[in-house]
Amino acid sequence: MRPKDLMFTIGLMTGFFTLHLLLNSIVPMEQVSVYVRNGNHRLNGHNAHTEPSKRNNSAGNSPNSARILCWIMTGPKYLESRTKHVKATWGKHCHKVLYMSSVKTDFPTVELNVSEGRENLYWKTIRALQYIHQHHLDGANWFLKADDDTYVVVENLKYILSKFDPEKPLYMGRRFKPFISQGYMSGGAGYVLSKEALRRFVRGFHTGECTHFSTIEDMAVGKCMETMKVEPVDTRDMKGRQTFHSYPLDHYVIRQQRRPRPWHMIYDYYTPIEGPNCCSDLVVSFHYIYAVQQYVLEYLTYHLRPYGYIYRFRPDESVEADNKTNRGA
Amino acid sequence: MKPLGSRFSFYVGFVVGTVLLYVILRPVWFEGIQLAGNYGKLSDRQQQLDKDKGIWKKERSALFNLDHPHHTGEDSRMADKLYNKVRILCWVMTGPNNLETKARHVKYTWSRHCNIVVFMSSVEDPDFPTVGLGTKEGRDQLYWKTIKAFHYAYEHHANEADWFLKADDDTYVIVDNLRWMLANHTPDEPIYFGRRFKPYTKQGYMSGGAGYVLSREALRRFVEGFKNKVCTHTTSVEDLAMGQCMEKVGVLAGDSRDTTQRETFHPFVPEQHLTAKFPKSFWYWSYCYYPISEGPNCCSDVSVSFHYVDAGGMYLLEYYAYHLRAFGYRYRYQPPTPKAYRLELSNSLDSAGELKEEISGVKEHGDDDLPRPDQGQDAGPPPVVGKDAAAAPV
Repeated sequence: MRPKDLMFTIGLMTGFFTLHLLLNSIVPMEQVSVYVRNGNHRLNGHNAHTEPSKRNNSAGNSPNSARILCWIMTGPKYLESRTKHVKATWGKHCHKVLYMSSVKTDFPTVELNVSEGRENLYWKTIRALQYIHQHHLDGANWFLKADDDTYVVVENLKYILSKFDPEKPLYMGRRFKPFISQGYMSGGAGYVLSKEALRRFVRGFHTGECTHFSTIEDMAVGKCMETMKVEPVDTRDMKGRQTFHSYPLDHYVIRQQRRPRPWHMIYDYYTPIEGPNCCSDLVVSFHYIYAVQQYVLEYLTYHLRPYGYIYRFRPDESVEADNKTNRGA
Repeated sequence: MKPLGSRFSFYVGFVVGTVLLYVILRPVWFEGIQLAGNYGKLSDRQQQLDKDKGIWKKERSALFNLDHPHHTGEDSRMADKLYNKVRILCWVMTGPNNLETKARHVKYTWSRHCNIVVFMSSVEDPDFPTVGLGTKEGRDQLYWKTIKAFHYAYEHHANEADWFLKADDDTYVIVDNLRWMLANHTPDEPIYFGRRFKPYTKQGYMSGGAGYVLSREALRRFVEGFKNKVCTHTTSVEDLAMGQCMEKVGVLAGDSRDTTQRETFHPFVPEQHLTAKFPKSFWYWSYCYYPISEGPNCCSDVSVSFHYVDAGGMYLLEYYAYHLRAFGYRYRYQPPTPKAYRLELSNSLDSAGELKEEISGVKEHGDDDLPRPDQGQDAGPPPVVGKDAAAAPV
């Protein structure tokens, strides 16, 4: 009798777990929220992410006052094929731009005294931030990290930053959920440190509170930010649309059948939206934008537009006017 | 007996375990996976039909726009005015095999900005809806389809639109910019616009893929031309044949470039016009009527069309054209207000523009600082933008 029951139970458990395993490999738990009508979680005016007192204040933090230092993570291998095009397109819109490499050149690039390679990315980041802290801290009040295949609309970033105080410890970008309890910002989509955040990062390494514990650059920066009590910011616009993107537009705006969260959205902290409401009109960044695509995006952002529309100055105040259901696009 | 018995128990247990988990997970599981096949398609189709109700009125195989403007909450007075005054019927050349893969995406993106849109196919489809032209499919049928399509548009919609645009199901059109371009003309002029090519004809002809638009008078003459046998099916090369007929019936081939001589209709995707270095032997060089600019001066800020745009590209371009913009940015080119609309609106538009700049305080501007052709008023002779500007890096 006993062996029989035992075998039965073992069989039961085996069957149970096998099916469970099978299903889990096809069906991750979360769903992609396909369509958010009216961005309803934004409408009530309660914004956990922006400091309420700063929202309507343009005097103290007018767009003029956000001075952004852009530093581009690159290397000798990519100067011709990628970085050159960043320099020719959006690099020019930054208040100051630095190209961080392992080798000093006339590009001009900054030499970081770190070798190339994926496993050295965090070392490069640490050295780059220390370099900036040492030489350029007073030259800017916000510090953007981007890759040589990131495309950034600097004006839109300025607009977002104008609502915040650079003397507060803040950290913005495409927020990811895993590994760090307060989340961390995607490296490829670009992330921004406030002046105070940069100070804390450097201090953290000085005191040993932050260390090189991983080669995964963006996650490691996030850990240091958490340790040094730097706050991550929700950079979505008033309709809940994302501004920083870790992939090109086609991964987000083309709506597919309702399905479990696809691989490229698995890490997203906020439930990603697929379809025309994925991305803010005043988008800040896209990633995996190579060479010629930089010029294409430059044209599409700064030139191509439909005639006859005067866009309102303050897109935040669209809430009351926008009662019509968003049909998208 | 014993070993057999316990193995049997194992199997039974396995089956029971599997079934149990299945039963428990079933509600969650089916929610997650959209079943392929009929079930998925039916509900999808139903959703689409419901969505359509708010956007169009379907009548006589045409879709009449109900939903303009598309920028809710923005100041669209000028766009609205042009929408009402410059009425465009868009007809899209497609076929039964392309409805799901291509035409559908045209339908849900740029065709929503037309006053009326008609999808022309060889076979009628009352649901989509498409018009059945009674031809076969294939490249050699293109001019037959075009002839019949224009005749259909004339017979059914001549009084409901001022201009008649032909586009492919892989053409992306920014209809608001087309209205700007046409606003300085009237539908009684015998004229048509597109990307002008020069060979084989005296006055040139318009590229088919980039799309072309006929005035109502041009359309009337086209139909008359076939009635009087002045025009016939000369060749299956649709755009050339069209150009030949237009020439014969006295319709002028218009210059569709903006006031800085940048092209507005484009036979390729933006990427190619902006960055590709076409080899000098490529046909494009010898076909274009006007001098070609490579780089950022290839394409007007108020471009009208791009060709060879795939399904996904439709959604991308819709976002890029209608949504993506840089905050507070002063554009390199301010399209002059069309003459007929100047007195009515230009004053209020100007003051709004100035107010915007004041508040934003950000005076960034484009690199190739052409002398701004207007302060809202008449452009005067446009500065020639030729090889010099093309040399600038951005």
